[in-house]
Amino acid sequence: MLKGGMETSALKFLTEEDISKIHRVSMRVLAEVGVQITETEALDLCKEKGARVDYANNRVYFSEELVMKAVESAPSTVTIYDRLDDTRNIVLGGNKVYLGTGGTAINILDLDRIRRETTTEDIANTARLVDALDNVHFFVIPCYPNELDTKDVDVNRFYHSINNTTKPIMGGIFTVDGVDKVIKMAAEIAGGMDKLRERPFISFIASILSPLKLDNDRTKILFKVARAGLPIATSTAPLAGATSPVTLAGTLVQLNAEALTGVVLTQMVNPGTPILYSSVPTIMDMQTMSFLFGSVESGIMNAAVAQMAQFYKLPLYSTGGISDSKQPDQQAGFEKALTAILPALAGANFIHEAAGQLDSGMTISYAQYVIDNDISGCVLRAVRGIEVDEETLAYDVIAKVGPGGNYLAQRQTVKKMRTEFFYPKAVNRINYEGWEEAGAKDTWTLAEEVAKEILIKHVPQRLLEEIDQKIREIEPGIKVL
Amino acid sequence: MNNILGIKNSVIAGEDELVVELVKQALDTEIAVSTIVNEGLIEAMNVVGSKMATGEMYVPEVLMSAAAMQLGLEYLKPLLKEGDVTSRGKVVIGTVQGDLHDIGKNLVAMMLESSGYEVINLGVDQSIENFLQAAKDNQPDVIGLSALLTTTMPNIRENVRLLREAGINAKIIVGGAPVNADFATEIGADGYAADSAGAVALVKQLLS
Repeated sequence: MLKGGMETSALKFLTEEDISKIHRVSMRVLAEVGVQITETEALDLCKEKGARVDYANNRVYFSEELVMKAVESAPSTVTIYDRLDDTRNIVLGGNKVYLGTGGTAINILDLDRIRRETTTEDIANTARLVDALDNVHFFVIPCYPNELDTKDVDVNRFYHSINNTTKPIMGGIFTVDGVDKVIKMAAEIAGGMDKLRERPFISFIASILSPLKLDNDRTKILFKVARAGLPIATSTAPLAGATSPVTLAGTLVQLNAEALTGVVLTQMVNPGTPILYSSVPTIMDMQTMSFLFGSVESGIMNAAVAQMAQFYKLPLYSTGGISDSKQPDQQAGFEKALTAILPALAGANFIHEAAGQLDSGMTISYAQYVIDNDISGCVLRAVRGIEVDEETLAYDVIAKVGPGGNYLAQRQTVKKMRTEFFYPKAVNRINYEGWEEAGAKDTWTLAEEVAKEILIKHVPQRLLEEIDQKIREIEPGIKVL
Repeated sequence: MNNILGIKNSVIAGEDELVVELVKQALDTEIAVSTIVNEGLIEAMNVVGSKMATGEMYVPEVLMSAAAMQLGLEYLKPLLKEGDVTSRGKVVIGTVQGDLHDIGKNLVAMMLESSGYEVINLGVDQSIENFLQAAKDNQPDVIGLSALLTTTMPNIRENVRLLREAGINAKIIVGGAPVNADFATEIGADGYAADSAGAVALVKQLLS
């Protein structure tokens, strides 16, 4: 099995000089262009902490000194925990690579290949599916429960995720008081707020908008999570050409300023808040005006962003394994592989959106989770790279086999064959006749079979009965599945 | 019976030295040779066969197990009586003239051996004369012809024709990357398999 958290710096799009230039221009943007904030509490706090605030225009300007002070006080490593034990923790920071799901889709291409709106049940099912897929290291709540009242959405999204996987969880928040409910519920499960803060198994997303602005609700959520001292990402998704400059370097400058704004705000509220340097660089198709998720340019920028986060010694919320294709087809395959491997080889930490999403993030597919589990496995194998030592250089076995022999029945072959090579689950690796005899199935079909089997068989570690009852008493809006 | 279980498990684990050690111990406790062979060594290979079918064991592990079983059998050879071990059949196998490829053919040979067949592996670039001679010397139940190159495939056709003309009374099976079932039928071979596991199944079926 390929573990998450392996490190690499095999790929570098930016030189040290490039990084330093991007940093300088971002500092200038934050100091001279500023960020639009309308939430009054946030404006007051910024002023109190030394930022220049233009109340008339809702504009806040951050000096380099203020930014770098926040970069210093933010932790370089953020751990999001396995709910039960430490076996599946993700330790974000440095060059450690993890891949996982992303959100938030509103449709699903179901196992009958019919596209429909997502429900609470899909949250529970994807969590359970991901719980069983080895190369998906964390669970970003991937879809929206369309059938629920808005007031019940947040608590249901988190509850059904937590109850169906013990992997680390992250999710967006849709209502301001939803975040309070979710934190209260998680504290109940952890055995108290202190214990939750000590071992956070859930984390949050509150997006910053491009270019350079925060809406009131997202600011409030950001402040609430920072006060609670729980991990948070300030996901920013500039569309190059539309909501950021068309040049990749210019988008990196703006994105860097936006990501650092998240760092500054959280550290002002509560120094030491586990914040992820957050980025979702994308482009807009200038022919069709479509938002593009799976472009190669996204992959390049995500790799570059990893270098930026490493430069600031901040853990990264990164993006990869994404596609604009509408179904699990050839386009999905190549876009996902490309956009996953580029940031991964740059040592990106938390590569989200890397499982299950299609249709620029608007649709999920159970089969796609299984395919992406294979892609992520291949990507992780590449991250691991080549181990060179006396044993792996294999002189002894070369000498033993000799010219014209074969290596099949050698001890080293047996010892290393499962770890030197990665074995995907839903691919065709047999000969033509064998493939025909087995029904000439493509990857999509094979992946559906794996997904069906997991969904029938896999039972995750559920919440304890007594805790479950208590939570349901406090939150009667939690749906019974 | 613990010794027998130990032998079986060490064959499955491919621990060849341990197998010999445990066979010695079993003989010391006066367990019958036929029991060691049938309930230890051969039973182990039955388990290995089904673990391979489910994908739990990979081919190299099967080969290690087969080698461990062979070593155990080798040690017992002087003590074996008629009927203690029965070969499931004899197979002559080789790559046809003009073709130097052998990994696939060797894999088939090794898998057949692992499954209890006696295999005479002629090697690569074998002339029809060599196949005919080997057939006369060994009286095999099955002859396997292999080719990887499309340019050497015609030699398979020629070999089948000449073996039949010489009146060799053995089933002829063919294989290799360019070969397929249609070709096998067309040239009058008795069978074709796409891979080593298929080859074992084919031989089993032809000799049943």
